Amino acid sequence: MASWPQNPKLIGGRIPRLDGLGKASGKTKYPSDVRPDGTLFGVLLTSPVPYAKIKSIDASAAAKMPGVKAIHLVVEAGGTLHYQGETIGGVAAETEEKARDAVRAIKVEYEILPHVATEEQAMAPGAPQIMNGGNVRKGREVANPKVDEAYRAADFKLDSTYSIPVITHVCLESHGLTVRWDNDDHMTVWASTQNVGGVSGELAGAFQIPATNVHTMTEVMGGGFGSKFGADVWGVIAGHLSKKAGGKPVRMFLDRSQEHLTGGNRPSGTAHIQMGATKDGMLTAMIAETHGTGGSSRGANFPLPYVYFVPNAKRSHSDVYVNGGDARAMRAPGHPQGCALMEAAMDDIAAMIGIDPLDFRIKNLPPKDFRTPIYLQELELGAKAIGWKEKWKPRGQNGSGTIKRGLGLGLHQWGGGGTTDKQVSCTINPDGSVEVKSATQDLGTGTRTILAIITAEVLGLKTTDIKSNIGDSLFPPGQPSGGSTTAPSMSPPAYNAALQARDAFLAKIAPALAAEAQQLSLADGQVLIDGQPKISWKDACRKLGMGSVSVTAGALPGLSSNGVGGCQFAEAEVDVETGVVKLKKIVAVQDSGLIIDMLTWESQVYGGVIGGINPALFEERVMDPGSGLMLNADMEMYKLAGASDIPEIVVIPLDTPEMRARGVIGVGEPPTISTAAAIRNAVSNAIGVPVNKWPMTPMNVLDALAAAKQGKA
Amino acid sequence: MLETEQKPPNNRASRRDFLRGSGLAAATTVLTGRATAAIEEARAQDSEVQVLSGEIPLKLNVNGEEKATVAEPRSTLLDTLRNRLDVTGPKRVCDRASCGACTVIVEGETVYSCTTLAVSCQGKAIETIESFDTGPNGVPYAFHQNDGLMCGYCTPGFVTSCKALLDQNKNPTLEEIQRGLDGNICRCGTYGGVFKAALAAAKTMKGA
Amino acid sequence: MNAFEYAGPTSPELAVKAIGRSGAAFLSGGTDLLNRMKDYVATPSRVVYINDIKPLAGVHASGGAMSIGAATKLAAIVHDKTIEAHLPALHRATAEVGTPQLRHMATIGGNLLQRPRCWYYRNGFGLLGMKDGKSLVRTGDNRYHAIFLTDGDALFVNPSSIAAPLIALGAEATLLGPKGERTIAVEKLYQVPKSAADSELTIAADELLTKVTIPRIRGKNATYEIRQKRAYDWPIVLASAALELDGSKVTSAKIILAGVAPIPWRSEEAEAAIVGKELTTESAEAAGAAAVSKAKPLSMNAYKVTLAKVAVKRALLTIAGKKYWEEA
Repeated sequence: MASWPQNPKLIGGRIPRLDGLGKASGKTKYPSDVRPDGTLFGVLLTSPVPYAKIKSIDASAAAKMPGVKAIHLVVEAGGTLHYQGETIGGVAAETEEKARDAVRAIKVEYEILPHVATEEQAMAPGAPQIMNGGNVRKGREVANPKVDEAYRAADFKLDSTYSIPVITHVCLESHGLTVRWDNDDHMTVWASTQNVGGVSGELAGAFQIPATNVHTMTEVMGGGFGSKFGADVWGVIAGHLSKKAGGKPVRMFLDRSQEHLTGGNRPSGTAHIQMGATKDGMLTAMIAETHGTGGSSRGANFPLPYVYFVPNAKRSHSDVYVNGGDARAMRAPGHPQGCALMEAAMDDIAAMIGIDPLDFRIKNLPPKDFRTPIYLQELELGAKAIGWKEKWKPRGQNGSGTIKRGLGLGLHQWGGGGTTDKQVSCTINPDGSVEVKSATQDLGTGTRTILAIITAEVLGLKTTDIKSNIGDSLFPPGQPSGGSTTAPSMSPPAYNAALQARDAFLAKIAPALAAEAQQLSLADGQVLIDGQPKISWKDACRKLGMGSVSVTAGALPGLSSNGVGGCQFAEAEVDVETGVVKLKKIVAVQDSGLIIDMLTWESQVYGGVIGGINPALFEERVMDPGSGLMLNADMEMYKLAGASDIPEIVVIPLDTPEMRARGVIGVGEPPTISTAAAIRNAVSNAIGVPVNKWPMTPMNVLDALAAAKQGKA
Repeated sequence: MLETEQKPPNNRASRRDFLRGSGLAAATTVLTGRATAAIEEARAQDSEVQVLSGEIPLKLNVNGEEKATVAEPRSTLLDTLRNRLDVTGPKRVCDRASCGACTVIVEGETVYSCTTLAVSCQGKAIETIESFDTGPNGVPYAFHQNDGLMCGYCTPGFVTSCKALLDQNKNPTLEEIQRGLDGNICRCGTYGGVFKAALAAAKTMKGA
Repeated sequence: MNAFEYAGPTSPELAVKAIGRSGAAFLSGGTDLLNRMKDYVATPSRVVYINDIKPLAGVHASGGAMSIGAATKLAAIVHDKTIEAHLPALHRATAEVGTPQLRHMATIGGNLLQRPRCWYYRNGFGLLGMKDGKSLVRTGDNRYHAIFLTDGDALFVNPSSIAAPLIALGAEATLLGPKGERTIAVEKLYQVPKSAADSELTIAADELLTKVTIPRIRGKNATYEIRQKRAYDWPIVLASAALELDGSKVTSAKIILAGVAPIPWRSEEAEAAIVGKELTTESAEAAGAAAVSKAKPLSMNAYKVTLAKVAVKRALLTIAGKKYWEEA
């Protein structure tokens, strides 16, 4: 088993990302910025209606419009459209303005079918069925036989329904790519993707050419969050348009409304939860009937029960189909929903019992889980940082005026872990330059930088000495960036490649230094003989003569791991007259094994928290039952936190020798999971009333207060 | 704007489009004469309003440089910069004046270039992020050092808003920084690094 | 966005001349019109750009009255010290509009004459949000819609944050048309549309709003806005109050709500409740309650009744200097 350096000089430090200045100065070209010579502008035609059969489609007028170079349709007369935003075809024209005009000139006649836009509509008796097999697809029930009995016998019984709506990814760089046919069977592609290899593969399949002939590049990209793993139908359309236009590059990116409608979304989650506990605070039973919608796709399930040990559990889940865009993986798929619903019930039953919700959680951690000791350390750190002991009060007892204060928390977990079949190449050149390459990509996570850090660590150089080239499908096979798997998949081969390159390099230059290779080592930009600096790195590299040292290596065992915990605490102020929530502070405690770059790691966790603040307070996809359209497919009424909405956020790594010894584990998903749960619990703690609908808007908070008042009256 | 000698750079503007850029009065009559005649007529009517349509030659002062291109009256400043002048620092994200990724500075003030017509910016000073100092005293450097970016797609907008803010207020509080950046949205959630970067840049700019 | 003809006149008179035909629209800051054009909700064949017309911009005080050119940027209003000192209702409402960039672009005229943000209107279902002759709003997502006049078909809310304080302050609007100038009270800019073909604005298509004039103010005034986000957001409800006081006794009151009706909503009930009373927490509370006594919320927006009540109370208590909601 390999191991990471015991006393690293770079690993674990705070190292600015290598591509940071290029991005921050506006000079870096994103895939959507690339305009190769002769670029034509593609615009996508998407369905304006939620559910319809196409009676006829006629693009002849559009084809004759000035500047229009190609039109490609993917739906024919007789075809069915299942949601607003579903792709119909695309146009390539000399300017974007002209392409838009042409798209509008394509005449489509629709036979409108009765839609279901919301889950309520889809589940209503007599609802139009939009799928073969019905709108509601019930999964297999999982039940412990004693659960009903255990629930009946519980000292405290919670019976509540919670729901969290669909949200969309809102990648700031929309989905898309620029495609150019270089000759009959070669394409060059600049794609905004989490998976350069996947884009090449998909296009190669669509056009029946070898994947090696599709050169996909993603030097940087503007956010994916799980929704950008392929070329997508619009990418294939761009390929056809380019072909029809004689190979000219065609740029095809979704507009903002299409990005909401068709670029992917995170399924909703609704749970009717019956939870039982003893009077001393032990969970005894949980019965959960849940549903969610992934639009016209499956995959709206989520883990439940979540984190805690429930001796008797029953779970049944239904996927509900609506005429909405297909769900796509989004940052920790399923977990934020499962966590929110579980943790809300946990807080509500703790309030019934009259137990401190922190103690209640500690009592109900799974006794034999490897995460339990990790959670205990994390809860201690988090509770201290938020001031739980001093500040926590039972529900509704904190604050005397109109402003009520509350604390809440949530726990989460993620599997993640790496693959072992990815490769990195490491090349040392006679001029002293060093290049690492792999066909993985940097979503803003810092992948490019950690590969350089690892290489520099081994070669005794600075991170900035390493040219870290990723995001190119022709490079050695790299990890698609999803599920927090990139760092644990790519760090071991980067380390291995650097080690092998180092050894090959030292063996090659040893004779010139009149030394044996095993006498040589590297540190601080020097080659050392028997521990004594002998010659600078640059001078040593010159001794390579005409030949570079280049090694392509795979993973070594023992350098990465999977499975993390984590917890978050929230402090909120709620104005009970207006229902406006103001966050004061969030504390996020996270383990993720060995941290390569503390600076970018902290940014990931911090960003994860904001990725949880948004669904906690602001964002939701609003579907209109009457028209079947999304009402807020923009960035104005689809609300996201801005600078003044950001509270103090404290990020605490569980960075202990034990954790470091686990090796590299990714951190993209876990820190976004429990934020919405912690905030909801802080809001409910503040106002003394459970709020069971996310987001915590003035509407939902005031409605909860009004309902409680009515219940009491 | 309507000099006859000046050819549109890519010659895409048809002669007819070119002719349409004429005086209001002239526009109501059928243009049968030579272009120069029509244009002279337009010039003679300085007290009238010129009406532009079709593809029109535009001159924009971007980062101190006069740039000529051809666009339509409906072309936004952002699309003109990105699609016709290869100035791609400003990004198109919401395209509806909500997110700030397209922020540029026109006549000293930040605006959303996605919701500004290029034709209305002629004769005005347009500054984009490409003109900013990238050295240790500049705002981009502070963003880099403080990790005020992740995917980086919102970053040019944030950097531009931040620079404009610091030009106006040399010594901002955290709250003033937040208010000053409220016109920009980051989806990765890099606000913490952004705030640190803004504070650091203020400090450096004061020291400089 | 459809193609259009563009004119950039240099004087208000030329602007009116240039607009002189159907299908033309004035373009000011663009933050409303261009977005509607991109969504094909507005399709003018000619756009007349008025933001660079110098006489249309600027804040001028004379004899205690104040005139603000229609093309004055919101940022200029926020930075005006006289407005900040004497017209806090206007200052506060303006400072809360949009974002720094929007305040550099948007003008007071544009704010007053922007079209509703109603998401049915913006999605192409017309001002009344109708499909197949039925209101989508009434049975749909009406969380941001009206709580007054809801027996009618116009369920959108007037979107202007600035109309409310201007009306409370008794401001007038000056309009220039082909036949000359006319001056009307700001509230007369608005009407409740009776049909989908109607507009909620009374201004004629060939009229240009040139300025608003605020008379000399004797009393005190304030605006309180309730919104979800602290960063860029629209008010869910906003209340502006202008009071004349004799000591702490209210002798006259004008209370206007935004975000609650298809027009800026003057609450005569709230005014009646506070006039003649000492300005106290209790009387402000009573005025808030009176303000919503005739509210008829839609299926989702009962919470806005609460917000309207609170906004009126807090606007009044801001004048009284009793910001109880800011106390720790």
